[in-house]
Amino acid sequence: MSENKARIFEIKRFAVHDGDGIRTTVFFKGCPLRCVWCHNPEGISTKSELGFFSHKCSLCGDCERVCPEGVHKLEGGRHLLDRARCISCGKCVEECMAGALTVYGKDMTVDELLPMLLEDTDFYKSSNGGVTLSGGECLLWADFCAELLRELRKKGIYTAVDTCGDVPRENIDKVLPYTDVFLYDIKAIDSRLHEFATGRPNERILENLKYLDSVGAPCEIRIPFVPEFNGGELKKMAEFLSGLSNIVRVRVLPYHNYAGSKYLALGLRNTLPGKMPSEEELAEAESYFEEINMRATK
Amino acid sequence: MLGTFEKDRAWLENKYHKVEESFNPYQRMAYHGHDYDATTGQSDEEILEGLRSLAKETEGLSHPIAKVKAIEYVLKNTRIDVNEHDYFIGLYSWNRLLRETTVLKWKTEVFDEIIPEVGESMKDYNDSGAMAIWPDFDHVVPDWDSLVKLGFSGIRERAREYRITREEKCGLSDKERDFFEAIELEYTAIIGFIDRLYKYALTKNHAKAKRVADCLLHLRDGAPTNIYEAMQLIFLYFMISESVDHYQVRSLGNGLDFTLYPFYKNDIESGTFSEDEIREFLAYFMFQWSAIGNYWGQPFYLGGSGENGQTLINELSYLIVDVYDKMCIYNPKIQIKYNSNIPEKFLFKVFDMIRRGNSCFTFCCEENYIRAVMSYGATYEEARTMDIRGCYETGVRANEVSAATGYVNPLKAVSYVFSNGYEERLSKQIGVKSGEINDSWSFEDFKAAFFKQYAHIIDDVIRLANAYDPYMEYINPSSMYSATVKSSLENAFDGYGGGVKFNNSSALLCGLGTAVDAIMATKYLVYERGELTLSELKAALDANWQGYERVRAMALRCPYKYGNNSTEADECAKELSKFFVERVEGKKNGRGGVYKALLHSAMQFVWQGQKTGATPDGRLAGEEISKSASPTPGMDKNGVTALISSVTKLEPYTYSEGFCLDVMLHPTAVSGDEGLQIMKSLLDVYAARGGMVMQFNIFDANTLRDAQKNPEKYKNLQVRVCGWNVLFNNMSRAEQDAYIVRAENVI
Repeated sequence: MSENKARIFEIKRFAVHDGDGIRTTVFFKGCPLRCVWCHNPEGISTKSELGFFSHKCSLCGDCERVCPEGVHKLEGGRHLLDRARCISCGKCVEECMAGALTVYGKDMTVDELLPMLLEDTDFYKSSNGGVTLSGGECLLWADFCAELLRELRKKGIYTAVDTCGDVPRENIDKVLPYTDVFLYDIKAIDSRLHEFATGRPNERILENLKYLDSVGAPCEIRIPFVPEFNGGELKKMAEFLSGLSNIVRVRVLPYHNYAGSKYLALGLRNTLPGKMPSEEELAEAESYFEEINMRATK
Repeated sequence: MLGTFEKDRAWLENKYHKVEESFNPYQRMAYHGHDYDATTGQSDEEILEGLRSLAKETEGLSHPIAKVKAIEYVLKNTRIDVNEHDYFIGLYSWNRLLRETTVLKWKTEVFDEIIPEVGESMKDYNDSGAMAIWPDFDHVVPDWDSLVKLGFSGIRERAREYRITREEKCGLSDKERDFFEAIELEYTAIIGFIDRLYKYALTKNHAKAKRVADCLLHLRDGAPTNIYEAMQLIFLYFMISESVDHYQVRSLGNGLDFTLYPFYKNDIESGTFSEDEIREFLAYFMFQWSAIGNYWGQPFYLGGSGENGQTLINELSYLIVDVYDKMCIYNPKIQIKYNSNIPEKFLFKVFDMIRRGNSCFTFCCEENYIRAVMSYGATYEEARTMDIRGCYETGVRANEVSAATGYVNPLKAVSYVFSNGYEERLSKQIGVKSGEINDSWSFEDFKAAFFKQYAHIIDDVIRLANAYDPYMEYINPSSMYSATVKSSLENAFDGYGGGVKFNNSSALLCGLGTAVDAIMATKYLVYERGELTLSELKAALDANWQGYERVRAMALRCPYKYGNNSTEADECAKELSKFFVERVEGKKNGRGGVYKALLHSAMQFVWQGQKTGATPDGRLAGEEISKSASPTPGMDKNGVTALISSVTKLEPYTYSEGFCLDVMLHPTAVSGDEGLQIMKSLLDVYAARGGMVMQFNIFDANTLRDAQKNPEKYKNLQVRVCGWNVLFNNMSRAEQDAYIVRAENVI
């Protein structure tokens, strides 16, 4: 097996919201989009990053003591960070007994990852679950993903790739043979609106989805529903999606703003919109896709 | 829907103790009748007086006879009730009045005079927290099938036949004569009691009186003729056994749905009762235990497999669960025998109740129960038809007594390694001398010292219980129970004295998870990180970690915590678990049976925790320890699949008395149809890997926190504590916090 590595920021066992059944989800670092509602901001940058949860900090100074780069400074009852110096070595994390520090992003080989993903094989099999690759954008690591998915396939594990779709076609082609289902995000049909909220236009995303559909790859469409942003796009999405033939399901994911503490921990500006959809709004949003979902279950 | 039940509910809630008065659910005999018609009998004080004079007359009689005379006296003289708000009768003195002049007196005699050194040693152990031990008469399940088929008079008749046969065949010894005579007198007293109730019912003219009177007449003279009468019989047996006879009954029906089903079928077919009427009776029946409301709860089980492998879930099982659901209660607690043949519709109905907040259900994986029961010599058929007793213990139907003996606290064994067996609480040597702690010890030396301490506690449970075992029937003869059991009659021997085929005992393991964490934290701190020496660690523990906060934080963050599928911690857990099982299973007890291992902590995870000082895992003195097969609260961080993987490495089925895991899930993980499938998958994998019992708690930390702040909003919020449910509002702040800590790790 190759020494190919990918940067992983979380491995979540008993994931029940990333595809069918009980799954383990692997989160890869880095994403081409900059969605204002992103609830995994630790997945945006491709680099490893230091997370600091100030409310847990006991101001003991152990981090300052062990840091080789002088990132941490305790001054006047405050814990200051010079993130630019951080090389994500993790020494401070190991010393931090209060659990206030973490490093997002660890470079792993397929060989290291695989046994962890196989631990719950019984659970996958009994629940029609499996392994999901997510992120960030896992297809930024397409070669690695292809290798990992191939190994999982060999073990008879049902695989899913959760993607935003904004990647070169060849990246998709690499994983296509080993992916049982794509969890494919659609955020808007209007490209300018898309660019406004995610920093990127959406032509490539929609083209890639059409391509996947044309080659018969089953796709579950996931729509992060942020009413103030894409509330007016739902009808157009439904129209677009009804033109496709391999959609297995459309899932409307209600936006939530619980990720604020992670922005804070990463020292990022919190871009999260304030308003979460109400149950009525959610039900209405879902109603646009009822027909497609009905057709899909037949 | 439930007939007059809703109208009567408020009265029933007050039947056993007044709702507005304070009630201690942990006190066994806290409930009592009130506002009874004083012309129907004596007050408790009068009965006590009577029992005291009676004791003078019965002095010198054999215990079965002396005890039954006391029972007779209580049943003749206690006040009674046939109430317009209830289909079930009322017995005023439901508080074991005869205790003082019989059972307690004989128990005191045994432990103070006959085997005082054993009594002394048990007291020390109980005070130390290393072990909790007492003679247990509270886990009995009669042969319900015989009872409902024969009725009380039929049971008496059957005993007479056995007596005559035996007498003709080989004559009767004095002991055997008294055995049969006590049964004769006890069932005659019960029948007399029912007659008294019947005649009293005739004096009433409320809407339920006639129905109750008819029922009592049938039960006085013979077997129940319909489902209501069968329920009344079960209730009567339970109440008399628990409140008068001093034996707690730990299952209703040999499968409530199984025992009542023939009546149900017959009643519906013959038109005796409509389904709605049966629902109404079930509501009044089950609600009795909700109203009693003691913390250990009243169990019954449903389902299982028939002789051809078919499911025993029937229409009545659905009805029972449905009525239960409509009442919104959490006691009785219901065990489901779980197998792949269980109808999905039934299973999902129960899952749905659980995720709506009713955690009173436990799932007992039948295949592994069968395996466990066969391991101590039962046939397949005996194992298939086994009863689930108490919280989740095994028992061969109508042929097994299994008395709990001691709860072993392995965490105390860890403490004793540091103190060389010396118990600070008592200023006494309780553990064995495993050597003064020494900084030159290797981790292997440390572990060897631990196993010395651990073995000593386990062996002493068995030694002490074996010493008092021969006196079990002397302390508390079980005529009422023995009469229902054929083999007891055949042998002319008390069920607790060797009359049944399986006369077993169980030893219980507590705090396994925390003990593992403590041993692994010692390894991590002292031998891997070299943060401090063993004697420095001892100083930190003696100081309850004060001044050692940083090391304590390190101990809490130790990467080897049981319950996370960590190889290092799980290997240690396997070692401790196997050691216990091998030292307990199959060892001979003092009543002709064997010991069975049980991984279950009852309330001891709190009580033994209170008696255990600070431990190397970072736990502070007095904090609770892990319960049953669960990890230390808050220490399972890798999700439920990792937890199940860790736990099943312990080979649950090797604990032939039972093994329990509770899992906590977030409501969003089990929402929708997919959520039901997920619960089933967890259970299926657990069962496939040898799991025995699983129970679910489903909530999120936010709800619990809100409930802590606004208790009035969450009057019905219940949590599964161990073998039973507790209202969240009734838990102490510390217990609530422990739940919140665990819930925080669940996403």
